[in-house]
Amino acid sequence: MLGQQILSGLATGSLYALTAIAVVVVFRNTRTINLAQGDFAMIGAFLGVIFLKQWGLNYYAMLLLVVACCMLLGAVVERVVMRPVADSDWLTLFTTTIGVYYILHGVAGWIWGRDTKAFPVAFDATPIDIFGALISEGHLYNMGVALLIGAALWWFFTKTKQGIAMRAVTDDPETAYLMGIPVRFIVLLTWVMAGFIAGFVGILTAPIIYVSPEMMDEILIKGYVAAVFGGLYSFRGAIMGALLIGVAENLAGGYLGSHFKTVTAFVMIVGLLAFRPQGLVGIQRRRTI
Amino acid sequence: MTEHLRCESIRVTFGGVVACDNLSLSVPKGKIVGLIGPNGAGKTTLFNVLTKFQPYDRGHVYYEGVPVDDRRAHHMVHMGMARTFQNIHLFKHQTTLRNIMTGGHVLMGDPLRAMFWLPEARRREREIEARALEIAEILRLTAELDSEVGALPYGMQKRVELGRALASKPTILLLDEPVAGCNDDETGELQTLIAEVNKEMGITVLLVEHDMKMVMQVCDYIYVINFGANLAEGTPDVVRANPEVIAAYLGVEDDE
Amino acid sequence: MTDQTTTDTFGARPTDGIRRHAAVTSLKRRFVRNDLIASAIFFTALLVLPVLPAVKGWMLSQGSLIIIYIIAALGVLVLVGFTGLVSVGHGGFLAIGAYTSALLTAHFQVDLLVGIVAGMLMAGLFGAMLALVFLRLSGAFMAIGTLGFAFFIGTMVNNVPLFQGRDGILLDSNVVLGIEIGDHGFFYVSMVCLILVTLFIFCLINSGTGRALMALRDAEEAARASGIDRMKYRTLAFTVSAAITGIAGALNAHVVNYVSAEVYADIWYSVDILMAVVVGGSTVIFGPFLGGVFVVMLPFFLEQLADFSFIIKGVVLILVLRFAPAGIAELLLRPIKNARRRMLRQAGGSTV
Repeated sequence: MLGQQILSGLATGSLYALTAIAVVVVFRNTRTINLAQGDFAMIGAFLGVIFLKQWGLNYYAMLLLVVACCMLLGAVVERVVMRPVADSDWLTLFTTTIGVYYILHGVAGWIWGRDTKAFPVAFDATPIDIFGALISEGHLYNMGVALLIGAALWWFFTKTKQGIAMRAVTDDPETAYLMGIPVRFIVLLTWVMAGFIAGFVGILTAPIIYVSPEMMDEILIKGYVAAVFGGLYSFRGAIMGALLIGVAENLAGGYLGSHFKTVTAFVMIVGLLAFRPQGLVGIQRRRTI
Repeated sequence: MTEHLRCESIRVTFGGVVACDNLSLSVPKGKIVGLIGPNGAGKTTLFNVLTKFQPYDRGHVYYEGVPVDDRRAHHMVHMGMARTFQNIHLFKHQTTLRNIMTGGHVLMGDPLRAMFWLPEARRREREIEARALEIAEILRLTAELDSEVGALPYGMQKRVELGRALASKPTILLLDEPVAGCNDDETGELQTLIAEVNKEMGITVLLVEHDMKMVMQVCDYIYVINFGANLAEGTPDVVRANPEVIAAYLGVEDDE
Repeated sequence: MTDQTTTDTFGARPTDGIRRHAAVTSLKRRFVRNDLIASAIFFTALLVLPVLPAVKGWMLSQGSLIIIYIIAALGVLVLVGFTGLVSVGHGGFLAIGAYTSALLTAHFQVDLLVGIVAGMLMAGLFGAMLALVFLRLSGAFMAIGTLGFAFFIGTMVNNVPLFQGRDGILLDSNVVLGIEIGDHGFFYVSMVCLILVTLFIFCLINSGTGRALMALRDAEEAARASGIDRMKYRTLAFTVSAAITGIAGALNAHVVNYVSAEVYADIWYSVDILMAVVVGGSTVIFGPFLGGVFVVMLPFFLEQLADFSFIIKGVVLILVLRFAPAGIAELLLRPIKNARRRMLRQAGGSTV
């Protein structure tokens, strides 16, 4: 029972982790808390429904196409909406993403309606036995994909030229610019990456909670909380926080009753912010925000 | 001669770097005391320790003989200590008058009464305004009362900051490089003002300054520190003649 | 030398010149927030509304709704505009005000006015508690923390049996001082609340307390050097802000005599309120007035196209932030302000 709770907690936690990574990437490079991160994923999920049902694509082609569309969406948002206000204070940047949130929300509701839709991919409900703990196929699949994406991002940040340039921009945009790093391109890339992650998150989440304009709201908030665990800066802290939230809320839900499940994240963030406002992982150097 | 402000064996470290090591000084009531030393000697750090802006690892600060180690910066203001900053901290988008009136915050009393405009609070508010206007006149800022301070010339901003500090009815005033970046005229003007503040209002002054000529002219007593430690102290004549002080300053000039 | 002598040397007896100047400057200071006049014009317009023969019941409740939104947004204004803090969680305080008043009315049949005061106090209490937790945070962290708070309240409302979840609590019609009031009466009650809140905020920002808040907003070091206790003033601002939004919440429960998780568990309520402030303008009292009208009237005009109004909201928000970051009210009031400044400069010049 306990092992099972922890395992499925890790599975939900991995979705929070992906969202948190996207939030951190964008915040590190642009000082923007992206409120529309969840909506990128939501749009992705709706597109997934269309590609599968109307276009009759198979799952992998759909996934590829959805991720591509979300990356494009990220790029468009950066170029059209965020770039003109890029030099403003963080509140302006934040409220601008609220605008994006409204628009994406409205577009989704307008085109596809407010009703929830079932995602036409169902995983076999028969649980699989892993070391005595039972876990559903869907959860296992989600964890696997999350791990793969995590590995891909790690590779990107440590091995590729763009990834290393992106870290340079995070540390010191001015110097990076003087060193000839195309800062604007890197910022664009940041948003594309946010879209990339969102695409996966959308498709992974859709089979669990149905597809609707509000589907991502809860995951987004948990993702934020997880990002705060890493001081909005550290990936490691964010991932740890996300898994911690996933497990803790699952345990609270299992042992204390479902009322407590959704409250867990808030209790955790209050505790964290009250005692360690700099995040779980100590950060030596924090930019003022 | 009673003592106004004193610190004992102050030690401050940043990471592993020792900024102040075993620094002590004492400021007598009613005097102008100078704190000098080469760049990086720890003057501003010590200054921030005295005003409680900077936490310290070891040592004690006494205000009018009472230890104030557990007091916060804003408490010190209520006890009669006012300060200025090396690189001017003002409310840049507010008017000169508002800046000086904000300095009079300690006279405001209970914020709850103030925000409901109770009669008592309004009386205090008028008092703060009248005082701010007087200070502005003394500092020759009357013509600029309604200008945004961010747009004023540098020397004038220095005076506004002095006004902000004076508005809290201080008994001791700590000035961090009051004439840094000022031209000769502005320096002369500020020097006169500082002397006036001390003589006519009876306010004790402690100042950190680079401008030797000004320090020697205006101060009653001088402390010299170097590498975070006390180097020398005495009246201006004594300090001027001290060979160690001369060496310390010459050493710095070599670097630059 | 003692403090006393200091005061004496430096004491009262201002010269005639100073006294004359004091008169001019108090006049000036009174006009710094001249948007009070704009608000007054707005009030007059609203006051005429119920008397017009063509006005029907639904228009009145729409009017009440606008007033409620303005009050909620004024609560946020105290934080965003004058303290430099941000809250994405004021929907939580709205819910606290609403449920406090609704439960009191449902179980004890209290007077509407009692409900409003109770809602205000309860929200203020929660605001103070939240402040103590969150006040060490800055900017982005505080935004996320407050968003988490709104989410927390939403979950509570949805799950705790006392609040009856999505079924909601149905309330009897409103009673003020023993007399049952209809839509007209309710409109006037909301109106009085709005006027009181507006006057209070005007007093607040033109008092020493407001000066201290703005000092903290503009330059924290200088504020500390002026003896301003950051924690104390921020807690105060947070409490006041929450309490004001609590009033709006209580009114919101009674405008339709119904509260349910359907409405209050929606955390984007909070975002809407913040948006009203940002679009309307966060530097002037009149800002939330415009923002409130905008946020309420837009979905009303586009009732058939609720989602389309979302899109318009988004576009307007982005455009305002890009082209008039200080908000629409500031844009409208700027010419008046400039004219007045010119006038006063001449007046000041002739006296000094």
